[in-house]
Amino acid sequence: MARTNRSSLIAILVIIGGLIAVAFVNSNSLGNFGITLLSGLFQGMLLFLVASGLSIVFGLMDVLNFAQGAYFMVGAYVAYDAQHAGGLIDLTQAIPDPNLRFPVAVILAVIVGALLGVILERGLLRPLYARPVFQLVLTFGVALVMAEIIKFIWTTTPYSWTEVFGVRESFFELFGQRFSTYRLFVVGMGIVLIILIALLLRRSRIGIIIRAGVEDREMVQSLGINVQTVFTLVFTLGCAIAALGGAVAAPFLGASTTIGDIFLLQAIAVVVLGGMGSYEGTAIGSVMVGLAVAVAQDAAIGTSFAALPSITPMLLLILVLLLRPSGLFGNAR
Amino acid sequence: MAVTPRKTGWLQGNGWLLVLLALLILFPFIVGALTDSSPYGVARGDRMIMRGESVRWQSVLIEVYILAILTMSYNLLFGFTGVISFGHALFFGTASYLFGLALEFTEMDTGLAIVVGAVAAIVVCGLLGLLIGLVTLRLKGVYFAIFTLAVAEMFFIFLGRWQLTRAEDGFAITDLPAWLDPTQSRLSFYYLALVLAVLTFLFIRRLVNSPTGAVFQAIRENEDRAQSLGYNTLNYKLFSIVIAGMLAGVAGLLQVMLNKKVGPELLSVGYTVDPLLMTIIGGVGTLGGPIIGAAGLHLLDVFFRDRELVLGSMTIDIANIWALLLGVIFILAVIVFPYGVIGTWRRWQARALRKR
Amino acid sequence: MTDSILEVRDIHTFIGQFHILEGVSVSVPVGSITVLLGRNGAGKTTTLRSIMGLTPPARGQILFDGKNIAGKHPHAIAQLGIGYVPEHRAIFRELTVHENLRIAERKRGDLARKADFIFELFPDLKRLIDLPGGNLSGGQQQMLAVARALVPDNRLLLIDEPSEGLAPVIIEQLMAAISRLAESSSVLLVEQNFRVASRLAQQYVIIEEGQSPAAGKIDALVQDAALVQRYLGVA
Ligand SMILES: Nc1ncnc2c1ncn2[C@@H]1O[C@H](COP(=O)(O)OP(=O)(O)O)[C@@H](O)[C@H]1O
Ligand SMILES: [Mg+2]
Repeated sequence: MARTNRSSLIAILVIIGGLIAVAFVNSNSLGNFGITLLSGLFQGMLLFLVASGLSIVFGLMDVLNFAQGAYFMVGAYVAYDAQHAGGLIDLTQAIPDPNLRFPVAVILAVIVGALLGVILERGLLRPLYARPVFQLVLTFGVALVMAEIIKFIWTTTPYSWTEVFGVRESFFELFGQRFSTYRLFVVGMGIVLIILIALLLRRSRIGIIIRAGVEDREMVQSLGINVQTVFTLVFTLGCAIAALGGAVAAPFLGASTTIGDIFLLQAIAVVVLGGMGSYEGTAIGSVMVGLAVAVAQDAAIGTSFAALPSITPMLLLILVLLLRPSGLFGNAR
Repeated sequence: MAVTPRKTGWLQGNGWLLVLLALLILFPFIVGALTDSSPYGVARGDRMIMRGESVRWQSVLIEVYILAILTMSYNLLFGFTGVISFGHALFFGTASYLFGLALEFTEMDTGLAIVVGAVAAIVVCGLLGLLIGLVTLRLKGVYFAIFTLAVAEMFFIFLGRWQLTRAEDGFAITDLPAWLDPTQSRLSFYYLALVLAVLTFLFIRRLVNSPTGAVFQAIRENEDRAQSLGYNTLNYKLFSIVIAGMLAGVAGLLQVMLNKKVGPELLSVGYTVDPLLMTIIGGVGTLGGPIIGAAGLHLLDVFFRDRELVLGSMTIDIANIWALLLGVIFILAVIVFPYGVIGTWRRWQARALRKR
Repeated sequence: MTDSILEVRDIHTFIGQFHILEGVSVSVPVGSITVLLGRNGAGKTTTLRSIMGLTPPARGQILFDGKNIAGKHPHAIAQLGIGYVPEHRAIFRELTVHENLRIAERKRGDLARKADFIFELFPDLKRLIDLPGGNLSGGQQQMLAVARALVPDNRLLLIDEPSEGLAPVIIEQLMAAISRLAESSSVLLVEQNFRVASRLAQQYVIIEEGQSPAAGKIDALVQDAALVQRYLGVA
């Protein structure tokens, strides 16, 4: 990771620069450009929340957690349910102030995500470490089951967020355009998280163990470190962060049974194009894909390419893989 | 798992198979006799209407044959070569669309369109497999899984919005000759599907027991070792994915003809999950497993689809929780039943033998 | 017998369906160096890995301090006070030298207590402390790998072919370091270079086709040219 390849840096600059240039040309004013940029960063941060767990878990445990999208979805549903009246969890009595209720709803979502994460790792994945292919198959199955359970609890009708609360409704003006403070807040939170996780990986003992485990799991064990515990911790954290993503996305995107799949696919594109197991690659890849999707959304307005934004991450992925088969920062063999 | 050559006659070695085959050939007539219905349907004027128990059960088995072909192709790749795909629906759906496009969107006459469509569909499936394989198979296994999933989903999303093929609605196939049209002649289509399923089985059995098949299985057990023995494992994996893609395409063609409709749902993740699940439940890397898995799960599905489960005062429509049940079976199968029906049976047999 | 820190008794180890060790016995007396000798592919590495629990033996006993550790998890075995230096210099290439040492701490402050000793043995490492392991030369990587096993208080060190592919000067330095280690802990060493091994070790065990057909004092082996010729193919 320390020896970042020159060609991958150039590729990153070219792609991000190109995206920003297209966004700029395509928008007629600085204000519109700013909106596209903010929307791209917003989506990029949500993607990061799904992709970071995916990437670190893969690097450390060789498990590609296909259920990561389902954790995002669970986060969205729990936060929605906790914030709104009725449903499984009704907090409107206990915390009447919606501005106060929202952080509680988010925390609740994170806790549920973490709990489900522990259950999956301890209960289901652990017996299968000797058979990695089956782990892949298992997480795939778990994703299906989680989606079905959610349909069973919350039905298949999508929920759109109706609760009004302060941050979500507030705007600020710049270049004659109204920008959503909430999006800015999510972007800020994402950036803080990117830095926090980077610090955790760089400075703490557990971070050193994780990075060492990505390289050589057996050697870490031989030093007297119980990697199983580290696995559980990392896996749980990954699931909790994905649930956090779903929870903070819900005020804008609502809760639906397809929301997880969409983010999972985009996150997979991010993880692969960033280079599997590389944290830097995941962070940069998230921003890249988020921007690309926002640019594509702009470009698709009023044209017949309605599908363009949804296939953009895959197109970007294919482009990057053709240039660098193991991703921007990756070592895939 | 080595295949020990047995010095018995072909007839003797395939005894069970021949009995089963005979039963399946006679099946429409047996059901017809048991339920007092005609395997040809009901005559109305000079046309045959496809009604009655025999005809209904023919459809069920046709669906089993299609799923069995799809699952056998999946198992060739996953079970015998150890390559996991999460986008098998890609081949299934691509073949359907190409065939449908040839029939409905070109000026060719029906016979030509069928031949051209079918050949193009199968060739393109092979090429698609080759391309995806070339991009990803050099890397770790998950790259292939991811890439197939991504490409399949991309096509799924794209076709769901492509106006030419009527986006999400898809389009109907109107132009099939009578003998290929299950709404006019179920019985001939039944035999077509049966023949293709049997040919697929024989082909895969032949392939798996050939030297090439031995290399496939060596790759599954330990690719580095296979490589150090001097095999170009990439070429073998490419071969396996091309064949699997083409066979999945055959299943897709049959599906289009059966439903006389083409739509994006043919590329949905369901057509990847089904063969995956059926392979695991039947027995990964066994010849009969996919058939048992496909038949077992599909028949259960048909049987339970419109039943209700009464728990005290609660009535649960099984159709509503069928996907959930399948998912739970899936997880249980992976964890506690990892060898599938056939593998577990073999282990059980081996244990019984050892005790004797 | 009682003064053996490690007693491997007739272990059988399988890798997949391959029966790799078919009855290996090794005894390591306290405070001395025992060397495993044998041709490539004989099963020396697998013996060390079996002791570490990385390829757990299916049968047989591994007594460390008189207690059977066969079947325990590798991390639990390491925590008993066994350090492992695998073959091919398995350091963490992406971690700095300092991080490579820090990760080996078993108690807080291990590294601080041992730093002087380690840098006295391997002065180069002090200079390279903030470089990623992957940037070190082969000899420096091997020193780091040994140093890493010295960070916690280990009573037994398993060292697999430390001299492989290194220049003679570096080998000298490493071997000097290893013989100093034996003053504070016992060592089970794998070494292909018979000359080096015979100078360093007090006991030998021959590994041949997954078995241990001969063992004894190294001095006796040095005298017995026929035995050396038979198992090692060198005179
Ligand atoms: N993962 C493995 N799969 C199959 N055989 C193995 C594996 N690892 C080692 N072996 C075999 O075990 C034997 C012993 O290997 P090893 O212990 O590495 O020998 P040594 O260290 O004495 O050179 C060799 O014949 C080797 O081919
Ligand atoms: Mg060795």
